[in-house]
Amino acid sequence: MAWVLVCIGGALGSITRFILGKLISKRLDTAFPIGTFIINITGAFLLGVVSSLDITRSAYLFFADGFLGAYTTFSTFMYEGFNFFEKNKKINAFVYILCSLFLGIICYILGFDLGKFSMKY
Amino acid sequence: MKKYIFIGVGGSLGAVLRFIIKAIQINGYKNMPINTLVINAMGSFMLALILTVAFEMCKFDTHIHLGITTGLLGAFTTFSTLCKETVELMRQGFYILAVTYMAISAVLGFAAVYSGVYLVRKVAPVILKNRSNSTLKQGEIN
Repeated sequence: MAWVLVCIGGALGSITRFILGKLISKRLDTAFPIGTFIINITGAFLLGVVSSLDITRSAYLFFADGFLGAYTTFSTFMYEGFNFFEKNKKINAFVYILCSLFLGIICYILGFDLGKFSMKY
Repeated sequence: MKKYIFIGVGGSLGAVLRFIIKAIQINGYKNMPINTLVINAMGSFMLALILTVAFEMCKFDTHIHLGITTGLLGAFTTFSTLCKETVELMRQGFYILAVTYMAISAVLGFAAVYSGVYLVRKVAPVILKNRSNSTLKQGEIN
């Protein structure tokens, strides 16, 4: 049963990432990989919210392990960082990776606190 | 529509594969979330390998390409869990370990991409060259 939930969540998460990534890169045509950046940051925020809520194991499997795990991505993030590095934009690579990680943590904490706060009321 | 099906199937496989590897108990690393570290490094290496082959050597079907890269490997590796595990380490008071975990994830991921790209660029041409040499010899014999 757990597998099925992770499976469906994973499929939806990766399709959402693909659609959103395309939408963002269409609207904002920059050299900075803003699509993956926004996706990863929002995913970290949402995982914070989901982790703070008092939900069933099944719901957590679907949303956290399935959907948000697949929605956010580490491999593309690293590949984009490497691309900067190869084009001799070493500072960009450094800033991109560091900013993503730093903001990811901040947004996770924000999401977690927001979830906890909303549980009180 | 077809591409969404390929990404969906790849994504579900990637997520389940991550789920299975994450459940494996690894002893001897105390509090370091070693599973996610391995998952992310492995996925980054594979993505770099496949993208370099696709961009620089031989193009293959767009749908299969999207299914493997955006679907399977994108869903297999995860950024949100990395953030969660780091914050959890910090909440438990393991600040140095939390920073170390982040740093190792980034360095290992970067090194994985680097080795994936260079493996294709350096090793693949040698293999292809040898193969064309051997077919040439066969041709000579015949």
